[in-house]
Amino acid sequence: MITIVSGLPRSGTSLMMQMLAAGGIPILSDGERAADADNPRGYWEWERIKRLPQEPDCIDEAEGKALKVISQLLFALPAGRSYQIIFMERPLSEVVTSQAEMIRRRGTSGAALSAAALVAGLQAHLSQVNAWLQRRPDILLCRLEYHQVLRDPRCVSETVQRFLQGTLDLESMARQVDQSLYRCRTQTA
Amino acid sequence: MPEPLAKKVLLIGWDAADWKLINPLLDQGLMPTLDDFVNHGVMGNLATLRPILSPMLWNSIATGKRPDKHGILGFMEPDPQTGGVRPTTSTSRKVKAIWNILTQRGYKTHALGWFAGHPAEPINGISVSDLFPYAIGPLEKEWPLPLGAVHPESMRETFAELRMHPAEVTEAAILPWIPRAAEIDQEKDKSLQSFAKILAENCSIHNAATWILRHEPWDFMAVYYNGIDHFCHGFMHFHPPRMEGIPEEKFEIYKDVVNGAYRFHDMMLQTLLELAGPDVTVILVSDHGFHSDHLRPRGIPMEPAGPAVQHRQFGIVCMQGAHIKQDERIYGATLLDVMPTILTLFGLPVGEDMDGRVLVQAFEEPPTIARIPSWENEVGNCGMHPADLRMDPAAAQAVLQQFVALGYIQPPSEDQARAAEVAVREQQYNLARVYLDSRRYSEALPIFEELKKKWPDQPRFVQHLAQSYLALGRRSEAKALLEQLLTFGPMAPSSSRQEAEGEASAEVPAKQDSDVSLKEPKPRPWTDLLMGIIHFEEGDMEAALACLLKAEQSDPHMPDLHLRIGETYLRQKRTEDAARAFRRALDIDGDSAEAHLGLAVVRLRQRRNEEAAEQALLAVGLQHFLPLGHFHLGVSLARLGHLDRAVLAFETSVGMLPGLLAGHRWLAALYTQPGGDLEKAARHRSIYLQMRHQRQAKTRAA
Repeated sequence: MITIVSGLPRSGTSLMMQMLAAGGIPILSDGERAADADNPRGYWEWERIKRLPQEPDCIDEAEGKALKVISQLLFALPAGRSYQIIFMERPLSEVVTSQAEMIRRRGTSGAALSAAALVAGLQAHLSQVNAWLQRRPDILLCRLEYHQVLRDPRCVSETVQRFLQGTLDLESMARQVDQSLYRCRTQTA
Repeated sequence: MPEPLAKKVLLIGWDAADWKLINPLLDQGLMPTLDDFVNHGVMGNLATLRPILSPMLWNSIATGKRPDKHGILGFMEPDPQTGGVRPTTSTSRKVKAIWNILTQRGYKTHALGWFAGHPAEPINGISVSDLFPYAIGPLEKEWPLPLGAVHPESMRETFAELRMHPAEVTEAAILPWIPRAAEIDQEKDKSLQSFAKILAENCSIHNAATWILRHEPWDFMAVYYNGIDHFCHGFMHFHPPRMEGIPEEKFEIYKDVVNGAYRFHDMMLQTLLELAGPDVTVILVSDHGFHSDHLRPRGIPMEPAGPAVQHRQFGIVCMQGAHIKQDERIYGATLLDVMPTILTLFGLPVGEDMDGRVLVQAFEEPPTIARIPSWENEVGNCGMHPADLRMDPAAAQAVLQQFVALGYIQPPSEDQARAAEVAVREQQYNLARVYLDSRRYSEALPIFEELKKKWPDQPRFVQHLAQSYLALGRRSEAKALLEQLLTFGPMAPSSSRQEAEGEASAEVPAKQDSDVSLKEPKPRPWTDLLMGIIHFEEGDMEAALACLLKAEQSDPHMPDLHLRIGETYLRQKRTEDAARAFRRALDIDGDSAEAHLGLAVVRLRQRRNEEAAEQALLAVGLQHFLPLGHFHLGVSLARLGHLDRAVLAFETSVGMLPGLLAGHRWLAALYTQPGGDLEKAARHRSIYLQMRHQRQAKTRAA
């Protein structure tokens, strides 16, 4: 079984990876992308997953582990493996604001669209992802709201435990949510 | 709801088929099936839309809507999965095609090979996408059918077996077309491979079509063949008479390929008609013609979709079946009219948001035409892809770019990113040209402005921007732009050869020899042409003529140029010179409606009214939507005493152009004649006086 944390960039995927690690789930991550102001506790990413469309078999390295796969890359998941996906959801206006801030800090160029157009584009993208997920009933899916994680990390940790059908360190998972940090960032967003 | 006029409808698409090539073959008895078909049905020109690019056109045929509405805007679109490009897909079409509407109404419907048809749509029947016939990989190795090429998926294996691989094209298939094939050095000349590829692809589509006709129930089938277009792009420069610069030896080898393509399609038509049976209404159309005579271009513009310069503005239409006239010509048809006509054949309403009209003159009796505001609002399964799959590819590309910028996605390679950027740019360019073609200049303008801003060294963007300014009456801005362009010096477009060929390759077979070379378009003739138009509009006829004649020296083959020269002479009251210019335009393009219209005006000035009527009739026959054509037809008919017909012509002209002051004045006068309609006379007089008053006020204010 391969456990995937997915969602739009800046929807809380790194936080969920951090919680899974604290809960005792083996993580596939190379630490190549260092912690920064956008993700002070790290990204928990595995750089090679970006080449999933070109090298679909690389996903086999995640067997028995959890890894982060951004929503755009879900389409490239090869068949013939068992997946369980935790899909993070966050209001798109917050996602767009947070992405803009991150792009500004990275000094790169994002989509040449207004915020409203980008929200619409991300919405359309999510619709495609949802349609794709519906066509893959073999994939186990758990949707989690970012704000629910912040509000009640203990309850969310229990939900994750039930979904993954294992015994996790729920206390440790819940402690990963730094209320002050996330409250601040949400308010900024 | 009206009664259906057809039990079944078979729509056959022959890309680029042109009467100019067909007629001599009919005369020689070399296309017997089509000869019999037109003798028992109607035939005519089918005016195309601009830009003349097949994916846009075939989707306008299938939807009855212009490309800005249906959303297919070119050969390629960004691929949101890879960051590169892909052939334009069916998920990018925003509106229902004929097979979707018929699916919605429960008809058994099949669609094969249609441009931008991949992935195959889940219609009520079999759908075979345009990627179905392409051979990926050699015959001896695995030759997989692309995912999504056939709907339903259960038919996948059956249809995979129906494909023909280019390697299966044997000597026996080649020699009737190219008897001296053995003389070809295939190491140097790859034309034979290109030939085999086109032949195999069209056989694959034909096999699929005939299989369906043999084995499946059906009410409607649409099948598209790209063969004529591809054979013409690959071999038209070898078609007789031999073009300057074409080696004699090669000419002799390949000179029969184009005619062979038409004869081959005639044979396929025969099979389709036999299998379809007698109770079928058959419509055969092409999206545009193909220059086959002295208008064949000497070179291809080095820009994306440059080979479209070989396309001619008139395709073909013929129809045969119950309630359809026999052995008659129809006039003024456009490719937007096909869809409304098919709906009427099925007794279904035409959408008021469709841009075409029913080809009423093809019917023995005028059909009853039902209408609804739009088929897009009709609820029910129509066999389109789910809405969540139909994402605007440009928006998807922007989202991808956002993810790349955030560092979550591998950036596409430089080539992929460049290709995607070009695809989006070309889609925008094509959209703006759609607006120009439909005279929505204010919608075209901001797009051209943006394109020029981003790519200031692309003269085609500057040219169209100048045209838009001119059309909007912003002469000084157009003039400044053209003057700036003249400082560019000899052409230096930024688009690379690779870029140009890359975009074109979706439609045009690879050109392995250099007989027709890519070449830089010349900016000077059209710059002078546009400057001439500006002077003309400013009322400076001398300066206008000087510019236009200068343009003529640079490129005497621009038909529009001679029209402008003719108009300028007309303004100078040099009627014989004007007539000569319009005749010159007709020498270049015998199907120029504007040239016939110009001659009609000349003859009216000379009081040669019968000739004027004749020329005006030719003009509106070639291009129905030509308000001034109908107006001048009305004037000539009125002078000849055919008052009823004149009224009809004037009514048509003001219907098309309500601001045509003189049309209302004529109608007011004619309706006042004995036996006329005084109420209508009063109405037109009122409109005339009101509009004249408004214009005078406007002039005073100016």
